[in-house]
Amino acid sequence: MNRILVWDWPVRIGHWLLVGAFALAWLTGDSETWRRIHVWAGGTLVGVVLFRLLWGLVGTRHARFARFVRGPAAVKAYLLGLFTHPRAEQPGHNPAGGWAIVALLSLGLLTGVSGWLTDQEIGGEWLEEAHEALASTMLTVVFLHVIGVLIGSLAHGENLVRAMFTGRKRGDADAAIVNARPFAVPLLLACAAVCAWWLAR
Amino acid sequence: MKALIPVMLGLFAVAAQAATPNEILAGYRAEAAKHNPRYQPSAELGAQFYTRLFSASAKMPSCSSCHGDDPSRSGSHVVTGKAIGPLAPGANAERFTDPAKVEKWFRRNCGEVLGRACSAAEKADLIAFLMRGR
Repeated sequence: MNRILVWDWPVRIGHWLLVGAFALAWLTGDSETWRRIHVWAGGTLVGVVLFRLLWGLVGTRHARFARFVRGPAAVKAYLLGLFTHPRAEQPGHNPAGGWAIVALLSLGLLTGVSGWLTDQEIGGEWLEEAHEALASTMLTVVFLHVIGVLIGSLAHGENLVRAMFTGRKRGDADAAIVNARPFAVPLLLACAAVCAWWLAR
Repeated sequence: MKALIPVMLGLFAVAAQAATPNEILAGYRAEAAKHNPRYQPSAELGAQFYTRLFSASAKMPSCSSCHGDDPSRSGSHVVTGKAIGPLAPGANAERFTDPAKVEKWFRRNCGEVLGRACSAAEKADLIAFLMRGR
């Protein structure tokens, strides 16, 4: 079976921007010296998440929430199916991975907003505690996501990390996306930059 | 049912986590005494510690860099520019009432300003100084 294009450019660039922004924000979180960098990283993350929420409505087909957000029954069937027919095609997100995306986007937004309110000194100490708890929860989901990707890669016999760079996965030609939409990348970058600037003011 | 009451009281105690500066000082004192049985908290040493210049951070060489020379008054953070309420419990009733918060900020600030963790004796001396005032 051929490799087909499934992840468009904004999905891929956005994914690695989130990885970088979250890592930077996590590493600088406890430091006052790096506080402004921390806020810029968080602002960038919120900008990418907001773009991704919009892209989940108007993006290419495997990027759309309607395509990959599935009910609990589908998740259960998928996870059980990993043992019985692991080579079954998953051209886009698999049903379990879809929920990791939803959780990470929600946690990213909540962590960013609670962090911004704390930085603006609105909300007080409970919000600072909430910010830290949300960030820790997000790191936990990041680990679950990475473990899921490794299991999925082994089960499906396909390097899913590489797919997030190349955009290509194994699948039927009719599951491919036609256009990788590179023209939307500047919009993504602008959204991230404006959000970072505005939230870090 | 009666057997549950002490358990529930214990849970409430954990949930509240409220303490007085004296209790928090006593905790660090007891910890320091494990290493040196004759240890007594010293406000004098705490005062010296508060303004001592360390070399881990160019912008924040001492506690007083951000908390101000007088801990009974508000400080201003040298990096973020944010106002910091008085550190002395006599001027700010919230200070040193939540052991977890105290530990969190000792961990962060000692790491950044001293470049290492503070000892229990350093913490006890500092709290003794902050409770006495300058």
